[in-house]
Amino acid sequence: MNIQEYIQSGVIESYVLGLASEEEAAELLHLARLHPAVKQALTHAELAFEQQALATAETPAAGLQQQLLQQLQHSFEPAPGTAIKAPDATSSSLHTLPAAGSNNRWKYLAAASVILLVVSACLNFYFYSGYQQANKKYESLLEEQNTLTASINVYKARLEESTTLTRVLDDTAITVVKMPGVPGKETTHATVYWNSQSKDVYLSASQLPAVPAGKQYQLWAIVNGKPVDAGVINSCEAGICKMKNIPSAEAFAITLEQTGGSPVPTLTALYVMGKV
Amino acid sequence: MPEFKKLSEADLVWQLRQRYQSAFVYLYDHYAGALLSVVSAIVIDKDLANDVLQEVFIKIWKQAESYDESKGRLFTWMANVARNAAIDTTRSKNFKNSQKNRELTETVYTSEEISIQIPVERIGIRKLVYQLNDAQKVLVELSYFQGYTQDEIAKMLNIPLGTVKTRLRAALIQLKQLANTQ
Repeated sequence: MNIQEYIQSGVIESYVLGLASEEEAAELLHLARLHPAVKQALTHAELAFEQQALATAETPAAGLQQQLLQQLQHSFEPAPGTAIKAPDATSSSLHTLPAAGSNNRWKYLAAASVILLVVSACLNFYFYSGYQQANKKYESLLEEQNTLTASINVYKARLEESTTLTRVLDDTAITVVKMPGVPGKETTHATVYWNSQSKDVYLSASQLPAVPAGKQYQLWAIVNGKPVDAGVINSCEAGICKMKNIPSAEAFAITLEQTGGSPVPTLTALYVMGKV
Repeated sequence: MPEFKKLSEADLVWQLRQRYQSAFVYLYDHYAGALLSVVSAIVIDKDLANDVLQEVFIKIWKQAESYDESKGRLFTWMANVARNAAIDTTRSKNFKNSQKNRELTETVYTSEEISIQIPVERIGIRKLVYQLNDAQKVLVELSYFQGYTQDEIAKMLNIPLGTVKTRLRAALIQLKQLANTQ
């Protein structure tokens, strides 16, 4: 066999690229042992392939090495800290590598602690913003609760009021006096509940028009043809107001007066009137 | 780690067999990029190529015992591990279902049964292969990039095994010259 021709046939390249058949590979390795020129050509081709791959090297994804180190961490043997007895101690680099290995370990520890720090900072931020959110929610719930408590108190008070009123109005001694609107004020009306025994007067005046500023409605009892003040109507739109006690009356009427009431009714401002 | 640049191959292999982490780190630092170029010549999708590279390093680490220095250099062995892993990936079902690797292709061989699509890549070994004549391109594509044996290729293309052998060898010599003139 012409060795030079064999070397140049391309079989070495096909072997290096992993394309040779088993027979071709066996033949090449056999010839490489016999002929230094073949061995040299093989090494040369391998180095050329390696150089080509290194020259076209691409950057692997960031973090891939860390991922691999983590994945394989249990398969690493600890590098001995002191002098290493290599089976064939031909190279001095054997002694430097393990030391550098531990140096590397420090690097990884440092890198790992930086990563941990960053992760912990991220978590801190995450938890802090979570805490802030929860705190905000808590405050708004607290506020809501206060509002609810307040309105419950209002309703409770109103309920007590109406319970009392129901009891009062349920009394057999109660006389109901309906006061329709006078001519010109037909859409308004009010009702007086007068207890003939206790002489208590209650007024339901929710149907009167809104009071202008500086004015107030006033209830009058007509006793023996003369108007007697039965009290001004304060803000009791939603319910029933307790007025002054009136021992006896023929009729009741409501006028619009200056705030604070008037000693005599302004008849032009008469709104409603009803006989007992 | 410049102080390790000159670590001899024998030392590196010895360190590797001792299963020192430093040996793994050395391998990764020096060869991850080169092995990625081997993988991505076959698996073009970047993310997928990185997945394959990860698998390759695990294989290299776990199968370091099976490396036989009488058969060639460490890198040659690692590159073969990488190429085989890449080809296994392209042959897997998932890969065939995805269209990721099929975007840029050139048809270089068509017969009644077979049409061979070659991805057109502008970097690395693909660029070199692109400069070969069609007959050679097909052989390099089927053998190097798709992992078919010369026997299988002879049957696929219906040409004698001897012809496949000589044409493939000639193609590789051609590639080597193209690489040198770059």
